[in-house]
Amino acid sequence: MAATPRSEARAGLKLISPTAIYVILLLAVPLATVLVYSVMTGGRANVSLPLTFDNYAQLGTKWVYGYILLKSLLIALSVTAITVLLAYPVAYFVSFHIKPERKSLWLFLITIPFWTSYIIRVSLWFVIIGKDGLLDSSLMSLGIMDQPLNLASYGIPSIILVLAHAYAPFAVLPIFVSLEKVDRSLLEAGQDLGESRWITFLRVTLPLSMPGVIASSLIVFIPTVGDYVTPKLVGDGKQPLIANFIETQLLKLQDFPQGSAFAVVSMLMVAIVSIGFVFLNKRFIGGQK
Amino acid sequence: MKKAPFLRSYTLFYLLFLYAPILLLPIFAFNSGKVVAFPLQGFTLGWFSEMLADENLRIAAKNSLIIALSVASMSTVLGVFAARASVRYSFPGKAPIMGLIMLPLVLPEMIVAMALLVVLLSLNVPLSLFTVIIGQVLITTPFAVAILTSAFQSLDKSLEEAAMDLGETAWGTFRLIVLPLVMPGIMASFLICFTISFDEFIISNFLGSGQPILSVYIFGQFRFPAKVPSMLALGTVLVCFSIILLGFAEYMRRRGIAKAGGKDSGGFL
Amino acid sequence: MTTSDDRPTMIEFKDVHKYYGDYHALRGINGTIKAGEFFSLLGPSGCGKTTLLRTIAGFEDISSGVIMIDGKDMATVAANARPTNMVFQSYAIFPHMTVAENVGFGLRKDPRSKEEKAKAVAEALEMVGLKGYGNRAAHALSGGQRQRVALARALILKPKVLLLDEPLSALDKKMREHMQVELIKLQRQVGITFILVTHDQEEALVMSDRIAVMFEGEIAQLDDPETLYRRPANKKVANFIGTMNFIPAEILSETGDKVEIEAKGLGRVALDIAQAPVPTGEAPVVGLRPETLTLLYDDQKAAERETEGLIDEVIYLGDMTYYDVYLGGTDVEVRLSMRNVPGRPVLDVGAKVRVAWSPSALVLFR
Repeated sequence: MAATPRSEARAGLKLISPTAIYVILLLAVPLATVLVYSVMTGGRANVSLPLTFDNYAQLGTKWVYGYILLKSLLIALSVTAITVLLAYPVAYFVSFHIKPERKSLWLFLITIPFWTSYIIRVSLWFVIIGKDGLLDSSLMSLGIMDQPLNLASYGIPSIILVLAHAYAPFAVLPIFVSLEKVDRSLLEAGQDLGESRWITFLRVTLPLSMPGVIASSLIVFIPTVGDYVTPKLVGDGKQPLIANFIETQLLKLQDFPQGSAFAVVSMLMVAIVSIGFVFLNKRFIGGQK
Repeated sequence: MKKAPFLRSYTLFYLLFLYAPILLLPIFAFNSGKVVAFPLQGFTLGWFSEMLADENLRIAAKNSLIIALSVASMSTVLGVFAARASVRYSFPGKAPIMGLIMLPLVLPEMIVAMALLVVLLSLNVPLSLFTVIIGQVLITTPFAVAILTSAFQSLDKSLEEAAMDLGETAWGTFRLIVLPLVMPGIMASFLICFTISFDEFIISNFLGSGQPILSVYIFGQFRFPAKVPSMLALGTVLVCFSIILLGFAEYMRRRGIAKAGGKDSGGFL
Repeated sequence: MTTSDDRPTMIEFKDVHKYYGDYHALRGINGTIKAGEFFSLLGPSGCGKTTLLRTIAGFEDISSGVIMIDGKDMATVAANARPTNMVFQSYAIFPHMTVAENVGFGLRKDPRSKEEKAKAVAEALEMVGLKGYGNRAAHALSGGQRQRVALARALILKPKVLLLDEPLSALDKKMREHMQVELIKLQRQVGITFILVTHDQEEALVMSDRIAVMFEGEIAQLDDPETLYRRPANKKVANFIGTMNFIPAEILSETGDKVEIEAKGLGRVALDIAQAPVPTGEAPVVGLRPETLTLLYDDQKAAERETEGLIDEVIYLGDMTYYDVYLGGTDVEVRLSMRNVPGRPVLDVGAKVRVAWSPSALVLFR
């Protein structure tokens, strides 16, 4: 218990070593391998010297790589924007209009769908909006439509719909947490100074809850941009996103260097967008001081 | 509380949107029609018995259970080490090590899976349930660390000092004071890692050996319209299972707070 | 006040230093604490008093120096093997145990039988006034009760030294005053050394046999409460303990055991050398406690010296009144306190008064 800095450092390192060794061997080493592969010369299912930046040059010249990256980015950003916008009023309602002792119950209700099998939720959408799906058969039997809509074949919009539904519960919680932290007396002060409710919301509540909005965006953006299942099921499987494309490159074409380079660039893209979000967050927190 | 009829109805509508697909599960799981379509036909338990008779499904469920139990145990143990070390000690390299442990939270899962797969393939490691387990542990450990860090943080350091002061050894203090007080956190971590693992698709799909694993199996079966009703029956069972598990986790968390004499401050996420 | 000089030494500090990185938390602590003494470490927050207490308990290593407890060097003795027990500021009651399990926690490795241990627990609880509380859940106790459990839990191990880290700071004022008296009684009853850390000078004065006043990692003065109050070693101690008026002065001469000074508004005064603590090199001032100054009514005569004054401010407190008074037609303002007794009216601002004072009550800081 009596700890000098050095013995404390030793005890800490000893304690964290099992976890640290695990992630170094099984995460850091593989990621480093991908990085090394990405600058090697490619063959089918093997890599060789010399080191080269050709793989990265390829990414720049062939339009399909840029197209996949940009499409994934735009889909993920749209999903993020939609989920966060839809979630904000819900978080606001639970935080401001629900009695404190009932809040956990509401949050529990909102999070349950998230904890039910993701595969089943996405597959259910396939059942609903897919070819000969529930939606089409219902609309047709009710006589509203005489042709199937086949929404699932709408490609990008249908992917956005399914992803927005799948990640919706993620978005509510961080916004709720930041709204809970808003000092209620500030709002009373705002109204006391003659501001309308709406202006008070815009000038006080919304800025104070921005960290939660940004956290929500991040939480939705990262898994969405890497989603694999949804593009396989809806959009007729013709709209591959990053994850599906990596699969094609690495497993089907077995082009390890090219696939690795693509993975590295995707990681960089996700990192840059995420850092952008974090930077925005810092600015908001900084602006409040 | 102020009335807000518009917000209230919006929220209810939102919840309906969230739940709508899930509500279809029980409706069509008990519907005797062979096609998932309105109007409903008659009541049947047939899909459940078809589900229970499915040999491959049984194997997949068993495999998933083995994976989820192993993953939950491993990541909770690794999470205890990491959370305890990061809350209690300062040591060189703490930020990069913790950053690496938490990294899978901000990486697309596909990249984690592919990086690991590339290394396993080049080392000629045969794919098996074991490779799925070690891959999933990478994904669940950050969740375990997050939950356990807050459990260790809420532990007053003077409690440990008091136990030492009263003559206990470091191990005795951990066993008699620390462990019982963070036990709710350990249980919550285990349950959440279990749920994530049970549901996980990408690593199960790519690092599995082609042995049936529940999430992969479900994904495959949904492509065959004839199989859909029995999959809906399975989904109904899984949803009930998750709700029970989550209710239990929430109960444990509240008991933990009550035990420590604290105040409830929201859900466990 | 008891004199502790004839008692054996329990704790001895020899040039104790403690660094946290670059921060020098303890800067050469020396001194002794006697067996059976009620000792206080008093100082503002951040002065190192809690750090010093934790080095005695063994929760913090020292960077250099020696701490001896009961004649043994503690350098290699871990916290769990030291003859000290601690009552924590937060009380550190184990929330998942009953009161009895808390109190009996330290007896786990005690070779006595279960019945004997239960009896010891019951006795310890009775001693702190919690008879029959054994089966209560610890987290259901009030603040005062938690503190008693913490005391019983520490005392049941019969330590040579009981360490108390601001034990009363979490209690309300009434409860605090009540517990002060109880702690004094308890210390007399068990007869062991108590070391109390506090930032409350009144609490330290009430409870302690001796007090170490600490500032910035150093002991500024170690004395019994009366000496500390009447003869503070420097202005900082004087200011921290009670209220003191400081009056600029000039040293006229210093011969053997006398110092003659000219104090602004008071005139020439000859002081005993005992009234002038070790010089610190500051500009000379004399200190006067408010209660050593008295307003003279009507034809009252001063026993020793008197000075003209002009009342600048009146602060009425019920049982007494504070007056801020300009002395002798100067801009030197002093505060004095008068009991309010029948037949002695409270005076008004602007009244001309005569102030009586005694040269022996002065302290010279230079």
